[in-house]
Amino acid sequence: MDRDLPETAGYSPLAVLGSAVGGLVIAFLSVWWAAGNAVSAESLFRVAPTVENRGVGSDWVAGNTIEWLDFLIALTHAADVIMGVFILVMVFVHWAAFRRLAGRMRRPGEPNRGDGVAADGGGTAKPVDSSGTTENAGGDDSGGERP
Amino acid sequence: MTNLDHGKFTHVTTVFHSLLALDVFALFFTGYGIMFNDELWWLVVLLGGYQGVAALHRIAGFGLVALIGFWMLLMLTTSTGRGNFREIVPTGDDVAAFVQDVKFVLGRADERHPNARQFAGYKADEVPLLSYVGKGVVFIFSVELTLLTVSGLLIWSKTGVMQFFATKTAAMAFVVFHGLLGVIMLMGVMFHIFEHGFHPAFYPVETKAFIPRSMIPEAHGHEGEREADTTGIERLTLSPSWSWVTNLMGAFVVIGIVSVLMGSIFDEGYPVPNELAVGGGPSNLLLTVGINIGVFVLFVGIVLSMYGNLVRIRWERQLERERPRTTADGGRVAESGED
Repeated sequence: MDRDLPETAGYSPLAVLGSAVGGLVIAFLSVWWAAGNAVSAESLFRVAPTVENRGVGSDWVAGNTIEWLDFLIALTHAADVIMGVFILVMVFVHWAAFRRLAGRMRRPGEPNRGDGVAADGGGTAKPVDSSGTTENAGGDDSGGERP
Repeated sequence: MTNLDHGKFTHVTTVFHSLLALDVFALFFTGYGIMFNDELWWLVVLLGGYQGVAALHRIAGFGLVALIGFWMLLMLTTSTGRGNFREIVPTGDDVAAFVQDVKFVLGRADERHPNARQFAGYKADEVPLLSYVGKGVVFIFSVELTLLTVSGLLIWSKTGVMQFFATKTAAMAFVVFHGLLGVIMLMGVMFHIFEHGFHPAFYPVETKAFIPRSMIPEAHGHEGEREADTTGIERLTLSPSWSWVTNLMGAFVVIGIVSVLMGSIFDEGYPVPNELAVGGGPSNLLLTVGINIGVFVLFVGIVLSMYGNLVRIRWERQLERERPRTTADGGRVAESGED
């Protein structure tokens, strides 16, 4: 049986380095922009006291009653609840599926019938060697836990 | 024959996954320390008070933008990256995999669908790069991270938003929006920890995301096993602690998800109330305990992520030790005739 490390098509170091530099540039530019460099102080908090119904504190009230912002938040609440219920369903499905799969496995302490197998379904390794790191990869018949 | 069914990703992807996880955990601990400060006051104190927490959140936010920028550029500029887009597009098989998972739980199907299978064993050749859950995670987290990054940058220095709305209260709405958006990801990550930490064959962590495919030896020419009826899971022994640990963590994940969901509904900050409100609504002992259990689940996630990397390091060392000793055909000495 042939057992080799596979030829894999990965990413070239140049692409990784270029993307890393690009990512940092994007992060610097985003934060530079967000930290207030794009702000015109002139347009902030102009309360225009001479205009009717506009006075000190009016920005507070106006900002607290923007309907579409309120709607956006209500929408996010709804998304949270819908996704939360869905995620809970997924938790229960996996929990139950894991229990069913566990039921097919050998019980702890059940004698080894001498036909141990790696998790890859590959051939039987030498028993002594396979109790090493292979186990950590979920790979031997102890179920992968380290003491 | 096949390789270990958990070696699917490149080395770059596994490193990126670990860095992204660390960064997102940092954002969760700082961000939800602020949002659920009623329940997680100790976390705020530990992380340097409100100023410290806010500063750490921004540092981690910077890291997130850099990581997302890196990943998008890498995916767009390399053929490997572009080639992977096809692999993550959901198909009809993924819907079938979800339906079959439900049937499997109800005892109406004998096996999980190939698109759902985490432990593939003999049938590893049938398993795609990502399961249906994996595809969902990629899509939901991508949308979430995009919205969180945009809203996070807008509230980075509130003057940015205030320029658009000329009011502090509207800026508060964006802070609330940002916090509520992250709740989906918070709940999703708790499930992700459970899904990949507590599969009985991989417990306590599935190494797929940690050991790259290039480090997984492949076996060839095992025609007999190709036609195996089962995945071979019945030949593995269950860990003695799996049952109670999984039940405990399952309960913690459910309590954590329900609690942060309830907390997100009560701990809303917009519209800003006229009266000074101490606390975040009907917060009580149960909610406090529940949200803290959720945070504990996240801590377990960090530990498992670290453990996954430790396993990879051990795996690398063992590979280095064993490679020179392999037999001429690259194979190992079989224990019995069955190999």
